[in-house]
Amino acid sequence: MKNSNVEVNVHHVTRVEGHGNISVKIKDGIVERCEWSIPEAPRFFEAMVVGRSWYELHHVTSRICGICSIGHTLASLKATESALGVTISDQDLKLRKLALHAENLQSHILHLGFLVLPDLMGVGSVIPLASTNLAEVKIVLKLHRTANEMSNLICGRTTHPQRLIPGGFSKIPSMKELAALRDKLQDSIPNLQTVAELFKSLSHKLPNFKRETEFIALTDSNEYALYDGKLGSSDTASAPVKDYLAYTNEYIVPQSTAKWAKHVRDSYMVGALARFNLNHDRLSPMAKKTAATFNLSPVCYNPFMNSIAQLVEVVHSVEDSIRLINELEATGLNTQPDYNKPEIKVKAGTGVGAVEVPRGILFHDYTYNDKGVCTKANCIIPTNQNHANIQLDMNALVPQIAEKPQKEIELTLEMLVRAYDPCISCSTHVTKIN
Amino acid sequence: MRVISKENFAQFVNSLIKDGSLNVVGVKAKGDKFAFGPLESASELRMDYDVTLLPPKKYFFPQRETLVTYNVGKSFSAKSPSEIKPMVLVGVHPYDIVALLHMDEIFSETKSDPYYFEKRKASIIIGVNIQKMSKWCFAPYMGSATVEYGYDLMLTDVGNRYVINIGSEKGEKLLDKYAKNVTDALARDTQLVGQKKREVMMMSQQKLDFPTELIPEMLTKFYTESSFWEKHSEKCLACGSCVLVCPTCYCFDVKDNPDLSLEQGERVRIWDGCLLEDFAKVASGENFRATRPTRYRHRYFKKGKYLYDRFGFISCVGCGRCSSNCLPDIASPVNLFNDMYHESVNYGQVTTVSTPDIKIQTEGNIDYVPKLATIIRKQPMTAMETLFEIKLDDGLVLGHKPGQFVELSVFGIGEAPISISSPPTKKETFELCVRKLGNVTTKVHSLKIGDKVGIRGPFGTGFDTESLKGKDLLFVAGGLGLAPLRSFFNYVLDNRKDYGQVTLLYGCKEPKELLFADELLALSKRSDVDFMPTVDRCPETEAWTGNTGVITTLIPQIKIDPEKTYAVICGPPIMYKFVIADLKKRSVPDDHIIMSLERRMKCGVGKCGHCQINQIYVCKDGPVFNYSKIKGVPEAL
Amino acid sequence: MKPKAAFFDFAGCEGDQLQIANLEEDLLALLGQIEVVSFREVMKEHSDNYDIAFVEGSCTRLQDEDRLRQIRKNAKIVVAIGSCAAIGGINSLKNYKDLDAVKKTVYGENARLFDSYAARAIDAVIPVDAYVYGCPIDREDFLQVVKSLLLGKKPDTPTYPVCVECKKNENVCAFERGQYCVGPVTRAGCNSCCVNEGTICWGCRGLVDNPNENSHKEVLIKYGQTVDDAINKFRLYFGWQEAKR
Repeated sequence: MKNSNVEVNVHHVTRVEGHGNISVKIKDGIVERCEWSIPEAPRFFEAMVVGRSWYELHHVTSRICGICSIGHTLASLKATESALGVTISDQDLKLRKLALHAENLQSHILHLGFLVLPDLMGVGSVIPLASTNLAEVKIVLKLHRTANEMSNLICGRTTHPQRLIPGGFSKIPSMKELAALRDKLQDSIPNLQTVAELFKSLSHKLPNFKRETEFIALTDSNEYALYDGKLGSSDTASAPVKDYLAYTNEYIVPQSTAKWAKHVRDSYMVGALARFNLNHDRLSPMAKKTAATFNLSPVCYNPFMNSIAQLVEVVHSVEDSIRLINELEATGLNTQPDYNKPEIKVKAGTGVGAVEVPRGILFHDYTYNDKGVCTKANCIIPTNQNHANIQLDMNALVPQIAEKPQKEIELTLEMLVRAYDPCISCSTHVTKIN
Repeated sequence: MRVISKENFAQFVNSLIKDGSLNVVGVKAKGDKFAFGPLESASELRMDYDVTLLPPKKYFFPQRETLVTYNVGKSFSAKSPSEIKPMVLVGVHPYDIVALLHMDEIFSETKSDPYYFEKRKASIIIGVNIQKMSKWCFAPYMGSATVEYGYDLMLTDVGNRYVINIGSEKGEKLLDKYAKNVTDALARDTQLVGQKKREVMMMSQQKLDFPTELIPEMLTKFYTESSFWEKHSEKCLACGSCVLVCPTCYCFDVKDNPDLSLEQGERVRIWDGCLLEDFAKVASGENFRATRPTRYRHRYFKKGKYLYDRFGFISCVGCGRCSSNCLPDIASPVNLFNDMYHESVNYGQVTTVSTPDIKIQTEGNIDYVPKLATIIRKQPMTAMETLFEIKLDDGLVLGHKPGQFVELSVFGIGEAPISISSPPTKKETFELCVRKLGNVTTKVHSLKIGDKVGIRGPFGTGFDTESLKGKDLLFVAGGLGLAPLRSFFNYVLDNRKDYGQVTLLYGCKEPKELLFADELLALSKRSDVDFMPTVDRCPETEAWTGNTGVITTLIPQIKIDPEKTYAVICGPPIMYKFVIADLKKRSVPDDHIIMSLERRMKCGVGKCGHCQINQIYVCKDGPVFNYSKIKGVPEAL
Repeated sequence: MKPKAAFFDFAGCEGDQLQIANLEEDLLALLGQIEVVSFREVMKEHSDNYDIAFVEGSCTRLQDEDRLRQIRKNAKIVVAIGSCAAIGGINSLKNYKDLDAVKKTVYGENARLFDSYAARAIDAVIPVDAYVYGCPIDREDFLQVVKSLLLGKKPDTPTYPVCVECKKNENVCAFERGQYCVGPVTRAGCNSCCVNEGTICWGCRGLVDNPNENSHKEVLIKYGQTVDDAINKFRLYFGWQEAKR
């Protein structure tokens, strides 16, 4: 047996957010060690928000992650609003959906263009591609810029968005600005097609690996759920979001400062692929077509296809955003901001907010006392929920590639981690064990 | 006077807007407040407003403005807006119009600011008499609740129509071209306007307990009352709000802004404020107004005394913006002056009113664009100081007087004021002794012969070489102070027989810090000059045969004839007090003592405010001063 | 020869590095001036041979100190980017709590496995040459600092508070809108971006050098906050800076 002795030690995997280590040791053809571990510094967010007031929590929890700030902020606001009994207007609901689309666009394009594409093109980063494939890089940058401009318009800023406040928005864009955004989104479609074609031409480089697992995501009968929905699973019936703990079951493992999760199997997967698998028929028409060109159809058990599912979601987000802006135009826009909304009456309560962020389903769970001060908090991050799945995928994958050259094993394992688009520093703030 | 119905006025404004050649701005609602902004329709206008967040000054002296664009090593060029579209401002209150009149005089005094005036000339002011007054407004007390000129058209709301006062031909033409159904005013309209103006005079909710004419003298009495200023400024956040919203403030800073190529960029001017902590800080780190009470006091003095002495007006129009924007509530001039008035009972009430002697003249435009110059010689003198010889490009000649300074530009870094160190006897080139201290000077030290820099100037008053002829000159130089004195000293040597006895006292910290060492050596060999150097201390490793001790230890050792001797001093800020004290002990009269002072000088022409010492602009009224004229200026020494 | 730059992250959310990745076309122009030899988030390659080190995130563990000292040894210039690295940032919220209790709360009996101490700015461990404040950093501010370093001049970071920029932007003061803002004691340089968006300044860029804290706390109370709320507000971002005084 060739290559019966291999050691792969990747310290701080590159091109992922946060710090994760891969450690594999194969001796005489036997896998002695296969470990996905998280050495990330824990930041103790759940402890930090205790003692802070209802109008501050979203600002603090936004800082859990720089990439999915919009998602964290929205989940946080949903939890607070649920606890205090605040409802938002129909207009604000549409605007928040646009906010999530903007985040998805920004994050997925960054992931696909900067983090995944280099592997498929055989280079170490996007930087050399700026010389060899300048035209494509510019298209990625242009799409990314449009996504950022969308975030800026709806939320104020991509990272740590200021406009998102309890009760709605501190500033509403004008219809003129939204119409201009709509034009930009419309104009970006040909660029999306170029990117899709590029990935199609490279898709054969994605390993053909399959391991059955459970998929969990928000689900809704009317739309491709990102902002609202019930807690859906590929294995069980759906449930209200407030019952999340029964699904997530976090526990500690010694090699990881982040916790792991499991439901009915030993692990489950969240993220674009999970959403696709559960909600495929509610995708926009163009998105469905895009999925078809990649032969991507539910249920897909290949984690490497998570990146393709992201590409499909990018198309969906563009198309759905245009639809949302059309709806706002039809009903007319009220540009009065929502700060100091008189309706927010401070009272004791508990609330759970769940949204789909680029990497999967995110839960924020808060308890407030009658002064509106937080006494308890729990955040379950998508990447946390994926860690166990990554480990089990690795356990299954390593024997299959054990005979390949060491560099190829290393690259394949890194690509596996990257496919999940993990957000590791988010996942290290975590919950209480009960 | 004419009359127009409100409906026709709206149409008038809409036709102005429709004519794409005009930039129409007016007062619009902004949240619960108001602000001037571009009008898309007359329906946005809120002529019944009380006060705007920012005054209309922002259109003529914007928050940020490009003065110059540059290309490293190649050129500096003036940046004017691509085309100045004529602007119509609708709804300007009288106090803001008066403020613009203040600004017109301020921006044209001595040298005129072309950027401000090209915008002023291209604008048309449609004023409106005050209908609602903010609770902080005290314009009636400052004589600016109504105004008789300074506008092109002035509207008074008399119910269903506006009465229009024509203020200029420009205004009349605008009305004729764009307005319909404008009729002549009737007698009743004249009466109504008179009544409205009288009502405005009664609207103020503020009350000043004394006549404003007393303000300048009262301030003068209170300058040294530190406890008064400390009490009032204790809560100051140094946030600058009071000055940034003020219609008569005009201090600015100048910065270089390179683009990512690092080769090209622009020089911009931005609003600055004397209340901000680092306003009076120089590159060495010394801050001439480091404490809150001194900065707080300066603002009141600038408005109520210094500008009054220069222009004859108290530079406050009573709009109340400063008061309403101050979070700790300490910026209200009414509260402060009332408090001062009531306390002044204890100090003897002010009964005199000063009437300043005003001479306002304009000699041409300020030039913000540097001229290209080349470094032709570079001579390091000490670890920190290097002498540069500079030649202006294109055959230009600096034509300076001893004691003047230039603003030295390094592309992309900025501009720094440097005294000219060489006498004008040598015409084609000039010398600058540069100490490596801040951004600009550090960068200059890394430049090589043949590199290009920018030069503006010469600026400032120089030494009066003519009237000092025949006199005995005692030069007292401390450290880097030798550099500017050298421009005069060497001039004297070049014209030796025109002057009497010449003595040079020069002190620095250690022997290795002596500047112009070889020239000093030659000097020590001359018999027609008395040269005495001293060092504060001499380390064991160095040889030194001269005096050891601070510079004042030399003064008792020299011969001084108080009638004939003139002292010329330059050195670190701390030196002046002691040298002057020792000279006074030797009976040197006040007006025989001449000094060159240093401050942070940005514009060089007495506009940006950074070099201001009480009422004096160091860049314009100095840097050379006669002691008799500034000994009463508390911030000077 | 272009100077070599490397990016490092400690305890943070990587939002500042994302801001840099989000420079879009300016990123290409920036790469024309510096050579990036290590940026774990976007590239595989790594080199220990760098001139400028950009560090994001606070130091929260003893083992972080060794990594910081190594970076200081390798680099000629160290730039702290983002509030966590520059002033401790939001991580310092936990410094007010009993750390052992916090660890037990989060990790239970396994608390001893997790190493953590009071979160601090990186200049508590190594000398820092330049700072880009903000949570996240402002892109223009970052470029301004980088351009200054490349040109050999001190970065033009304001010592005055956010009110200056707010007034220039003609915002209605947050207090007038019934909100409680810490702009008057917070360092400017962000162009008052949050107040521009209709909300308050939260203080993410840290205190100015000589803040009149008592005066501002009085202002907050005058406008309706309780004393405890006013003090609590200052702990959001100023925790480490206040502890240092």
